[in-house]
Amino acid sequence: MVAFRSTDTSGRTTGLLFRCVLYSLLALALIIVDKRYDHLGKIRRLLSVAAYPVEVAVASPFQGWHWFRDSVTTRDVLRADKAKLEAELRVAQFRLQRYEALEAETQRLRALRDNTASVTDRFLIGDIMNVDLDAFRERVLVDKGASDGIYVGQAVLDSGGVFGQVARVGQLTSEVILVSDAAHAIPVQINRNGLRTIAVGTGETNRLKLPYLPTSADVIAGDLLVTSGLGGGFPAGYPVGTIAEVKRDPAQSLADVDVKPAAALDRSKELLFVWLKPQAAELLPPPKPAAVPKK
Amino acid sequence: MALSAVGALALAVVPLSEVLDAFRPDFLVLVVFYWCIESPRAGGLSLAFFSGLALDVIHGVVLGQHALALTLMGAWATHLRLRIRVFSVLSQCLTVFVLLTGYQFVLFWVDGATGNPVTTFGRWLAPFIGALLWPVLTGVMGKIHER
Repeated sequence: MVAFRSTDTSGRTTGLLFRCVLYSLLALALIIVDKRYDHLGKIRRLLSVAAYPVEVAVASPFQGWHWFRDSVTTRDVLRADKAKLEAELRVAQFRLQRYEALEAETQRLRALRDNTASVTDRFLIGDIMNVDLDAFRERVLVDKGASDGIYVGQAVLDSGGVFGQVARVGQLTSEVILVSDAAHAIPVQINRNGLRTIAVGTGETNRLKLPYLPTSADVIAGDLLVTSGLGGGFPAGYPVGTIAEVKRDPAQSLADVDVKPAAALDRSKELLFVWLKPQAAELLPPPKPAAVPKK
Repeated sequence: MALSAVGALALAVVPLSEVLDAFRPDFLVLVVFYWCIESPRAGGLSLAFFSGLALDVIHGVVLGQHALALTLMGAWATHLRLRIRVFSVLSQCLTVFVLLTGYQFVLFWVDGATGNPVTTFGRWLAPFIGALLWPVLTGVMGKIHER
């Protein structure tokens, strides 16, 4: 027999209907206001500060475990790691020399063509907090927020490529929507031939789709997709993914194209928040998300 | 009471592997139901409403969604509390199952109404797990309350 402790048999069931209706109307009003007018951004930011301690408390055992594992490793493992990192650093520095030269050349050529160049300047690295936001949506929580200058619609990258966009900003944390979320779309360009289209998320972590290509479009498996920079949301030239499969049905007018994302969407721990270069940002329209999450 | 609510909230967001996550019951909802039945003075509708709001903020969904669902189901539970208290274990589990299903249904309805259709059926598993967990939860809460 499941026993209840309290002997309180009266307990405020009077006026229950009234209070229920009151709270329900309040909740409904919140839903409508939040959905239609998005006035609740500030309130949500404040509430998220209150939720922050809980999120930190939940994430801390995992962080503590990682810290412990990092602190207690053998010297040999550390030496091997160090050698590997130095080798990677040398390769990256070599590539970077070439990149800087190319970047300068591109700037000159673009200036000749009288185009605006949007090249990123400022980066901020954030950590993904080990908090499950919602099992059915592709979103993550990152430990940088409005106090670090993060804004809604900001582009987020990881070491492999484009990771997503900032969907909501709290004071100390922000919520990033992944490129694989079904409600996310990003303007892309095929690197080989410059064909511009839009990549849409599917809800699966390892698959994006290009739903707006006709069957006659010049796209083959293995093509690299980069951001096209249209709309001013994402900087141009960052890898989004590679074409995995192209299915052309003669009876359909649109091709069925699958894309494998370049970013490690399910494995990344650190993310890069990027800002567009100030002078380029002035010339572009004010930053609004290039990929508006479909509401 | 506040401690149990915060604890349940923490359990609601602890990251689990994909497989385990499907089986995660609604801890905070169960705790709210427990307090509505046990002693509405301590918990009741205000606890339900604010817990729902906390769930909304922490899950990043439309503000008010979980609040509405929890308020409605919490009110129903409070209305039935005198009867539920004297039910056998099985009947209590069934009642809690109905309450949890109602809760998921309200969430599902608000999701559809706000244009956010969730296409998986995983959420309907939570009422089963929650109903099974109910006797354990009341036992644990009773023991803590005793102290």
